[in-house]
Amino acid sequence: MRSKVRINIATALTLLVFIVVFVVPFYLVVNNAVKSREEAAALDLTMPTSFHLVENLQEVFAARDYMLVTALFNSTVLTVASVTGMVIVAAMVGFVLQRRRSRINGLVNAAVLMGLIVPPAVVPTIWVLQSIGLFKTLPGLILVEITFGISFCVLLFRAFMSTVPRELDEAAIIDGCGPLRLFFQVILPLLKPTVVTVIVVQSVAVFNDFVHPLYFLPGEENATVQLTLYNFMSQFSTQWNLLFMNILLITIPPLIVFLFFNRQIVAGMTSGAVKG
Amino acid sequence: MLFSRRTFLAGAGAGASVVAITGCGSGGGSGGEVTFLVDNDPNNVVATELLIEAFNDSQADYVFTMETRPGGTEGDNLIKTRLSTQDMPDVFSYNSGSLFQAIRPAQNLLDLSDQPWVSRVAEVYPPSVSVEGAIYGAPHGGSNSGGIWYHKPTYEELGLEVPLTWDDFIANAEAAKSAGKHGIIQSYGDTYTSQFLVLADFHNVAAVNPDFAEQYTANEVGFADDPTAFKAFEHVEQVTQGGLVNEDYVSTTLEQALAYLAGGEGAHYPFFSSGMAEIKATHADKVEDVGFFALPGDDPETNGLTVWLPNGIYIPSTAENQDAATAFIEFAVSAEGLAAMAEGAQPTGPYMLTDVELPEDVPTAIADLQTYFDTDGATTPALEFSSPVKGPNLENILIELGTGSIDARTAAERYDQDVEKQAQQLGLEGW
Repeated sequence: MRSKVRINIATALTLLVFIVVFVVPFYLVVNNAVKSREEAAALDLTMPTSFHLVENLQEVFAARDYMLVTALFNSTVLTVASVTGMVIVAAMVGFVLQRRRSRINGLVNAAVLMGLIVPPAVVPTIWVLQSIGLFKTLPGLILVEITFGISFCVLLFRAFMSTVPRELDEAAIIDGCGPLRLFFQVILPLLKPTVVTVIVVQSVAVFNDFVHPLYFLPGEENATVQLTLYNFMSQFSTQWNLLFMNILLITIPPLIVFLFFNRQIVAGMTSGAVKG
Repeated sequence: MLFSRRTFLAGAGAGASVVAITGCGSGGGSGGEVTFLVDNDPNNVVATELLIEAFNDSQADYVFTMETRPGGTEGDNLIKTRLSTQDMPDVFSYNSGSLFQAIRPAQNLLDLSDQPWVSRVAEVYPPSVSVEGAIYGAPHGGSNSGGIWYHKPTYEELGLEVPLTWDDFIANAEAAKSAGKHGIIQSYGDTYTSQFLVLADFHNVAAVNPDFAEQYTANEVGFADDPTAFKAFEHVEQVTQGGLVNEDYVSTTLEQALAYLAGGEGAHYPFFSSGMAEIKATHADKVEDVGFFALPGDDPETNGLTVWLPNGIYIPSTAENQDAATAFIEFAVSAEGLAAMAEGAQPTGPYMLTDVELPEDVPTAIADLQTYFDTDGATTPALEFSSPVKGPNLENILIELGTGSIDARTAAERYDQDVEKQAQQLGLEGW
């Protein structure tokens, strides 16, 4: 009896925390996104007296010559390309680093660690990008994003590689498997749990990145979604209704991705748990 | 299984080639066009769009486009980054005064002293965009002023008059409070709004001591030891501790504060005259219900306005198309150009050009500011335009003071210390 009551209290508490942490902010966003500018300026949780869903939606999309459409496209390309790059390169590095002990291992490990610790310097990075002709281009920013994410990914992959039995590689090599085929057809599928983790963590980080696109990819036609928030928010004047509508719109793409890949993500995580 | 892996690889490959293609597309877009970089204030954006449209229609040689940047610290960093990487668009708008001094004008900007419009600029403006006698910027739109917004119907109802001294102002606030309204609105939710009682008081300081800015830069006076300057800190203490402010002043935001003012729940709000743009956008039917007066001091004879000079429009020395840039600036300071901007967003104060009048349809509160500008000695540029010394923590210190954590004396002393660090970083003499 007693333990049952306790469980119920715990459940209730969990629910409460869930509501406070997830539902209230979401409610605030949705609620203010449908208000008129005047009502949204009060910034409270009261129900809107009139609904402006379609108007706000139109205004947000049409702002600055349909910048949001360009931005959604740019951000999608940026996220997919950077995360693909991070997964492939970091998995390769982790594989080699864990399997082949050599003298430069210590050096590589130190470099990976430095990548986590050393803060990014904007101006020198721009000089480098300018000198190789990649400044103000999407590939340039993709490389920057890959650079900033890769250390973390390498650490994850290297740690997980040690749980993959070496016998598998040996069997594949005896069967006549070349190095590339060994990696892509034998090793990478086994790394699926880590791949899923990396995709989830890094795609959120890249999609939500504000600072790097601001400095490394200036120009109206190069906008990414986080930069579009600044169409409605400035130092002295903020259009809260449009700002929240914009937030709502740019939260939808990641949400769709998660809805679609939910099964794979959960499957990937649990398969990792069983094997680990 | 094998099939799915193949498709995965093919997909990754296709993804990579898409990236390569779009990369080419976005990389080559800068030829033939000239870009004007402005900050992202919505009013500014609308005004600039119309200005650029008017300029593109007025001539056939150049095609201008607009680019926006964030304001505040992020904007400062962006400007400095783009200047030092020689990636600045050919024309850009940025603060005049102390922030202008911080972007190394002599090294980074084009000298505009010989431009034809220079002789038309009001006398008060050029010092804020000059280094050693050379002028680097043109005024971008109308000026801004710091002072007190008031609710006109409340004033009529209670039979009050626009105060010319601080004591009259407090008496008016008391009267409004007795009538069940907020005497003075404060909005510490937007921290920078806490500074107006101090910053907008500078006209009164300069009226008593015209050399204050110079002496302040040389570290000869401070806010704690100059009796007139110190009064501003006492004022903050007086209004917050005296219960004249709205009860929720600690968390009120600018938008909420302006809603109090426009709706008549509050009688006074110390802020920029540019608050009119927000009032107009959010409370369009209340525009004629609000008025604006200069922050009063002790002497009704020297009553006057503290003015924030407009941003400058500058050309970086690395500009690729300098002819286009100078032609654009000339248009932006012409009556035609200013009229185009006013169509998008009305000016928030008189222009800095001697031969251009405010448009006739501006709200009364803004049109009335002209009276101060037409009276000799009734306007003073804010301290940040005549001295490079401005501490970064004034707003935080004033919030500590306003919430009763420290007293006025301590606050003024802390601000003087805060300023000291900044002055030393600038390498000024006497610090």
